[in-house]
Amino acid sequence: MSAGALCIELRDLVIRYGEVVAVNGVSFEVNRGEHVTLLGPSGCGKTTTLRAIAGLEQPGAGTISIDGQVMYDAVRRHNVPTEQRGVSMVFQSYAVWPHMTVLGNVAYGLKVRKQSGADIRAKVERVLDLVQMRHLADRPASKLSGGQQQRVALARAIAFSPTVVLFDEPLSNLDAKLRAEMRLELRELQRQLGITSVYVTHDQEEALAISDRVIVMNVGAIEQIGTPEQIYNRPRNRFVADFVGSANLIRGRVREPLAAPKTLAFVAEGGHVLQATAAHVLRGNETEVAVRTAYIELGKANNVNQMPGTVRRRMFHGDFVQYVVDCPLGQMIVRHPPTNLVAEGDGVNLSFSPEHCVLLED
Amino acid sequence: MRVAVAAGMAVLLIGLPSWGQAQGKVCDNPRPMPGFKSCADVEKAEAEGAFVLYSTDPEAGQVKLLASFNKLFPKIKTSYVRLQAGALYAKVLSERQAKSYLVDVIQISDMGMILDFQKRGGFRQYVSPEMAAFKPEYKSQPEGYWTWGSIIMGGIAYNPNNVSAAEAPKKWEDLLDPKWADAVNVKVSNSGLQHGVYYMLKPILGEEYFKKFAAIKPRAFDSYVQQYGRLVDGQDKIIMGAQYSGYIEFKAKGAPLAFVFPETGVPAVSETYGIVADGPHPNAAELFMDWFLSPVGQQALSEALLLHSPRADVPAPAGSVPLKDMKLLVPADWNDFEKSRPEFAKEWDRIVGARR
Amino acid sequence: MRPGFTSQGLITLAVLVIVAFLVLLPVVFLVEESLNTGDPMAFPPQEYGLANYVAMFEEDLQVIINTVVIAVAATVMAVLIGFTLAWILTRTNVPGREKLERLMELPYYMTPLVGALAWAVLASPRSGFFNQIWRWAGGTGDLFNIYSMFGIAWIMALFEGTVAFVMISAAMKSMDPALEESARVIGASKLRTALTVTLPLVMPGVLGATLFVFAEMLGSFAAALVIGIPARVYVITTAIWDSTLSYPPAYGRASAMGLALFVVMFAMLTFYRRMVGRGSFATITGKAFRPRQMDMGRLAWLLFGVCALYVFLAVVLPIAALLLTSLERFATALLHQAQFTLANYEMALALGPVRTALANSLLLGFGVASVGVIIMALVVWIIYRSQLVGRGSIEYLVMFPQAVPRLVFGLALLWAWLNMPIPIYGTLWLLALAYFTVMLPIGVRTLAGVVLQVDKSLEECARVCGAGWVYQLRTVTLPLLKPGVIAAWLLIFMACVRELGVSVFLMGPNAKVIAPSIVSAFASSGIELTAAMALIQTFTVVVALLILFRLTRGMTRELT
Repeated sequence: MSAGALCIELRDLVIRYGEVVAVNGVSFEVNRGEHVTLLGPSGCGKTTTLRAIAGLEQPGAGTISIDGQVMYDAVRRHNVPTEQRGVSMVFQSYAVWPHMTVLGNVAYGLKVRKQSGADIRAKVERVLDLVQMRHLADRPASKLSGGQQQRVALARAIAFSPTVVLFDEPLSNLDAKLRAEMRLELRELQRQLGITSVYVTHDQEEALAISDRVIVMNVGAIEQIGTPEQIYNRPRNRFVADFVGSANLIRGRVREPLAAPKTLAFVAEGGHVLQATAAHVLRGNETEVAVRTAYIELGKANNVNQMPGTVRRRMFHGDFVQYVVDCPLGQMIVRHPPTNLVAEGDGVNLSFSPEHCVLLED
Repeated sequence: MRVAVAAGMAVLLIGLPSWGQAQGKVCDNPRPMPGFKSCADVEKAEAEGAFVLYSTDPEAGQVKLLASFNKLFPKIKTSYVRLQAGALYAKVLSERQAKSYLVDVIQISDMGMILDFQKRGGFRQYVSPEMAAFKPEYKSQPEGYWTWGSIIMGGIAYNPNNVSAAEAPKKWEDLLDPKWADAVNVKVSNSGLQHGVYYMLKPILGEEYFKKFAAIKPRAFDSYVQQYGRLVDGQDKIIMGAQYSGYIEFKAKGAPLAFVFPETGVPAVSETYGIVADGPHPNAAELFMDWFLSPVGQQALSEALLLHSPRADVPAPAGSVPLKDMKLLVPADWNDFEKSRPEFAKEWDRIVGARR
Repeated sequence: MRPGFTSQGLITLAVLVIVAFLVLLPVVFLVEESLNTGDPMAFPPQEYGLANYVAMFEEDLQVIINTVVIAVAATVMAVLIGFTLAWILTRTNVPGREKLERLMELPYYMTPLVGALAWAVLASPRSGFFNQIWRWAGGTGDLFNIYSMFGIAWIMALFEGTVAFVMISAAMKSMDPALEESARVIGASKLRTALTVTLPLVMPGVLGATLFVFAEMLGSFAAALVIGIPARVYVITTAIWDSTLSYPPAYGRASAMGLALFVVMFAMLTFYRRMVGRGSFATITGKAFRPRQMDMGRLAWLLFGVCALYVFLAVVLPIAALLLTSLERFATALLHQAQFTLANYEMALALGPVRTALANSLLLGFGVASVGVIIMALVVWIIYRSQLVGRGSIEYLVMFPQAVPRLVFGLALLWAWLNMPIPIYGTLWLLALAYFTVMLPIGVRTLAGVVLQVDKSLEECARVCGAGWVYQLRTVTLPLLKPGVIAAWLLIFMACVRELGVSVFLMGPNAKVIAPSIVSAFASSGIELTAAMALIQTFTVVVALLILFRLTRGMTRELT
């Protein structure tokens, strides 16, 4: 990847609030046109990091560069103020100005840049079209619904064609259905316009669905960076395995590496031996494997790891069914499409492949 | 009256020369004005366009007086501040300390303060042609620093609707009767007249008088307007040391009042006027003094405030007893009078319950 | 770029210095003068010592006792009034609640001076309206005598009751009704719930209000001036006033008393802040719940009467009494004996000094409000929206004058400006400066309330869109603040027109203002003229008030 394609670069960023260290040495890069999501629970520092990129938070150490230009450098005491960074932001509360119309809101960034009236008009109309709000251009912003405000906030953010757009949990105030719809629209828009975006959310489903890459954060530090598939299939540690998707965590110890590359034998606490894979360089003292609930088969299947079990509890979730199964490894949670339902009390044969039994790094 | 004042004259002449102030002279060609003569430069006065008076007289009266002046000289806008003597003097001194010269002429009803101010060099000497008509005891020696603008005296006043003629007090001693407890009012310790009343009556009536008077629990007020007002509406029954001019004023408005001149005599003090040094409108100040000290000005004062003029050629206010018919008790030694103030203030405050 | 040297940083520093100068310097002068045991008028003092403080306890002990007794009595009454009204208006289904809530605020704008005058007219022995009617109806003696310690406390309580009301009802409104509901669901009766759940939850708010009201009562001046002095009852504020108005002026003693009062008030207000748990005096409009209302049945009308009675006693009756007095030749309540005339108003408006005083007050009101609001908006932005170091100190300084009794601050300003080389003593400029300083808490409080309601992200968004600080202020912040700015303007304007404590010290012959003129008229003119002047002043305030009410319809304000 050539340096020219690098759009945002953070190195060793540290941000403190008084005694508390909110962001503790975070480094990552975002390539041009990429959509990267910062994912994590509340308090993990994702929003703080995002705001630091915008210049709305004052870091204590590290560097931030956008498009090759240094925006913040602690050592050289260099700090470019927000209004000169050329990034755009969509706020969680939308921050739509109630004392202006929709048009006024969207045109703001263009007016600041002193563009001509005709230019402004054209660009605003184009962008309102993109979010399907053209017909409400003259409506006072105080009279918009939540979803409409969201679109206006988005239109405003892209109206002046920024290279980078930052999203601070923009969909969290919408109801589930609307959220799902907006998610798609956002992604479409981002692809279409080729905007580099950094997106913050605590909703792992959302993160996985729309991101090119996901950065999982916890307590101010990065747990794992990868594509959605990588994060889901190869969780690095207990936190990621637990936070993203649902997984069974099985304790035990490594017995020995096996012939196939990256494969190893893992003895669970109960004594049962599993074949697991490791995404990292094997140390030998790892103590846990994770098995995604969606990857466990019920009934006959040709997988290496097999064991009998009894269905203790069955809960119908609509799109899937969740079984709690008693087996030699303890209680396993299995998620299955809502077909071929197994009754509570029935016996089943649990099986999963070594690829789906991931050795956790720590 | 003649007796007491003559004594004062002697002492005044004793005290003065040591201050080393030069004799002043009237200007050579006093300008004739409507009803008076003036040494002031009228054009300059009108150019100054304003005149400020600080006085202890009630506001309504000051307004009337100044309006008479303003009628003659419409270009000179007048303004005033009304405060009781102690407060007024405190304000003047504070302002001078701050180098804030806001006032042209002051009137204070306590001669002690006047003398103190003269000692501090607060007055500017200006000899008005009208001062010739004032007896020497009524003005500064040398002339021109201050002059008596009026003489005020304090007697006993009551409301005949609430106090029958039979039970009304005739002598100062009658006020000690317990039946008057909580029904007498007086002036605050700031007042020049009240100081005069205390100063003159104490040696005559004895040390015990005012101690017993305290048992009557008199209420103190800042102005005779309040005092007479309370007599009229019945909140108080007697005024001790009632200002005679106030009685005349209220009587003229139709208030039910009676005034008593005790045989012992009525203490009297002066309302003294003087031009302040470094005042903002020196020419207007001179013009005012000339007008004020003339029969025309004194007449205006008499009409505005019902006050007695020291000038022999100005009649007493309508409906009042003339000066020569009163037994006035005037302090003989104004220096001693001045020195007695702090002790008077403390004692008086105690009597009226101003402090513990 | 270091944040310290931005234009923002420089402006903050400038603001800090100016505010410190305005607020702290007079107090410094006061402290120095209180230690002056030599010539009271010498500056700098020639001798230092603690004699003034000692003398306070020796000679003025009665004054201190009076002050405390009256303040306690007034506080108890005010809190009772406030609590009752708050309970009625937030917890019961009294009819016309919204209108009543609005009316409850009225007494706050009636100046205690006007109230004291009115009650003097109503309840002075023998000539008071109540007593006249009592005797006419056959009674003997007097029904009421306002010239007593109780009388002073009564007037103070009547007008401070509304502050207690606002604070306590805010406390009641901020209680989550679910807390009571969960008790009721478990089976507790109404009474039990009220005693064991509601009351304890509301208590901190009530106690806070008590402390605050007590602090204000200590520094109260107008009622003590009008009623106390004829009653031979001196409190600290009138004793201070008195000290400076005698010859020789006892500035040292006055300063010592003033500082003592200030320290006590300051301590009380600090307790208050701790208790209520706020870091600053600024209003933060937290979520207000609508507590569950009790159905009072027919009792509701009785309660309505109680509220109406308060408004009647605090507003209607005084104004009516003054109106009647101002239209008569000699004040009387017996209408068949009255001689009616408009002469008092003619005189009040024609009397040069009164006209000037009124004009000056209006001028100062307009000037200080207009300039003040702009500066205060800037200060508020710096305190609550910027990241600048030192903004905490600015907030503290700006709220500082609230802890200083007005009169004491006036004295401090007097002494400071008498002795500073800039000769603005006795001019309107000094009054303007003084008004601005004492209005800082009001203005900043109101504006802060509005600013905090403006979500930070609205401003950040402007910055992210590329707007510089000034552009953002102009296009986003200020327009959003407009209603709050207008409200602040009106409040400052009204406060200027009513101002007494500072004005009495700083007036000059050409710088007279209306409230002290009314006091002066009370002393040296008839009550009829005084009433006319008081009503003219009240009328001005009412006009401004009506505008304010229209503007803030529906907006609840906290007065603290």
